[in-house]
Amino acid sequence: MSNSQQAEIFAAHLNKLRNDYLAHLPDEIDALRALALQMAEHGVSPLSVDELHHRLHKLAGSGGTFGLPELSQQASLLERQVKGWLESAEVNESELSGFVASIAVLNGTIGQAEKTVNYVQQKGCDLPGDTITVWLVDDDLLLGQEVGRQLESFNYEVRLFSSLGEADEAAQTSAPDILLLDVLFEAESNNATEVLSLYEHLYGLLCPLIFISSYDDFESRVNASKLNAKGYFLKPLNVPRLVNRISHLIDQRRAPPAKVMIVDDDIELTEHFRLTLMAAGMRVSVLDKPRQLMAHIAEFRPELILMDMHMPDFSGPELAGVIRQYENWASLPIVYLSAETDLGKQIAAMDRGADDFLIKPISDAQLVAAVRVRVERSRQLEAQISRDSLTGLLKHASIKEAVDTEVLRARRNEKPTTVVMLDIDHFKTVNDRYGHATGDIVISSIAMLLRQRLRQSDILGRYGGEEFVVVLPDCDQLHAKQLMEEVREGFARLQFNHSGSTFSCTLSAGMAETSKHGSSDGEALLILADEALYAAKRGGRNQIREAV
Amino acid sequence: MTSLQRILYVEDEADIQAVAKLALEMVGGFEVKICSSGAEALRDAEGFAPQLLLLDVMMPGMDGPSTLAALRAIPSLSDVPAVFMTAKVQPAEVAHYKSMGAKDVIAKPFDPMGLADEIKRIWDRCHE
Repeated sequence: MSNSQQAEIFAAHLNKLRNDYLAHLPDEIDALRALALQMAEHGVSPLSVDELHHRLHKLAGSGGTFGLPELSQQASLLERQVKGWLESAEVNESELSGFVASIAVLNGTIGQAEKTVNYVQQKGCDLPGDTITVWLVDDDLLLGQEVGRQLESFNYEVRLFSSLGEADEAAQTSAPDILLLDVLFEAESNNATEVLSLYEHLYGLLCPLIFISSYDDFESRVNASKLNAKGYFLKPLNVPRLVNRISHLIDQRRAPPAKVMIVDDDIELTEHFRLTLMAAGMRVSVLDKPRQLMAHIAEFRPELILMDMHMPDFSGPELAGVIRQYENWASLPIVYLSAETDLGKQIAAMDRGADDFLIKPISDAQLVAAVRVRVERSRQLEAQISRDSLTGLLKHASIKEAVDTEVLRARRNEKPTTVVMLDIDHFKTVNDRYGHATGDIVISSIAMLLRQRLRQSDILGRYGGEEFVVVLPDCDQLHAKQLMEEVREGFARLQFNHSGSTFSCTLSAGMAETSKHGSSDGEALLILADEALYAAKRGGRNQIREAV
Repeated sequence: MTSLQRILYVEDEADIQAVAKLALEMVGGFEVKICSSGAEALRDAEGFAPQLLLLDVMMPGMDGPSTLAALRAIPSLSDVPAVFMTAKVQPAEVAHYKSMGAKDVIAKPFDPMGLADEIKRIWDRCHE
């Protein structure tokens, strides 16, 4: 049996197992619920807590293996809660009824794998991104509250703890997306980088960890690095910079799957590669008719092409040459996958537009790693080229292009799209009074605020110095107005620091929607939004106007 | 180096047993003997003469580490390489499991497509 046939049969078996698993999952959750209910009504026995713990543990493990990460995560949260009961040999009655309710939540996670795509489309205008929870553990309560308040303006949900013990207790039953830890706890004279591992639940959290400290000492930094901390920020905290790091960490976890296109005439081998890459979470498309190469690329928009060197009708280098004739695909990574061991031929092939050479046979792990690393690098490069270095938003030319594309798409789908132009009020005064470095912080804050409040499908760009453009696909003027009002209010709440004194800023915005301006193209809508922006400025600033 | 053929796998959960067996037999080409508890492993292990022991850490009754300790008391199994599978893979825990005589720790949930490769890698490393 060939590798690929085997992979196919394997995948079929795996699917069958998965279906069986999915079929009896509701029963398992019902049984869990019955067990918890029984405990709530008839009292708790050590045996029943033990069984509950065990069943949740199994669910946490199997959910992940069968492609239900959400279920797995929820189950392990509950597992941790029950583990707490086991250890303290005591169950709080009121906690139990809440627990029964959270078991019902597990049911909702079953359809997650298939529902994901629809979910995003249904989100519409009124839902900003998912809430991100930040836990801040600091014994300086005043500072904690101040930082918490600022983080909340960036739409993070912040929970404050004044000691490691308190946070550790909370970690038994819930988990944040980001953990911020002060280094020195003076009352206990503890250094968090040294003692964190003693707090089992807190230490066991899987989210990124960031330390904040008044002291910059090398020992603590090394300890933090051993704990795999993702940041070490010194007080007084530069909150926008901290938010920048947090949003970067969250983005990393949310990065969309890599899109890989395979061009190979060996159907079986291709199938094997396809399965391997898909099992690693990538999206894969196979091209079997080389003549449709460009149409296929335009439709699938791959981030990397894996190509065989020798194919019957056209060679790999010939096809690579064709791809490179198209300017917008000039930087698409092309990697040959071939049994070619002749170094001279390899080099000749690289001359013709390919980026790298992988030699068959290649192990699955090696293939996945090779593809992943190249896609990541090309994403970084792409970001550097098209994105503004200060804000990470699209640059002028790219955002104009995006406006055109989205307006065309809106006309085609007959769905409203709103274009917003916004500008920081009296920004010149900020620069003059506090200097450009502080001005840059104000600019990057608004960028982060926009990114926090908007959906992933929305497009953001820095249009000029303090001027920004937002494109909201599938969003009418009414919803856009609500959304931008939130941003306006959030921005006005931000406090900026400059050598001891604090100040805040406001913004004005103008918007234009496709269906209200029937024949306008992207360029014309931008002009309309700009006119509305100036009406807002003339009307007293700190407001949002619609184009007339 | 002898190639790996016989794996004794101790795991209490039927769903996971099925996936792991499939992955190890079809992808890895190994011969897999499944035991659903530590007691079952103690009964069947010697007769199967495994070349590698794969144990879930958390099982009702005898857990993975105590099962391993009991298996080690059987002379023919005293130095068969062992691997733990667990959902908790903090570095400190990995070190702890290794100190109990495990060659390595595989994280749960595991990827069915990659499990056999991971086992092979561990096996190769044991025999370098």
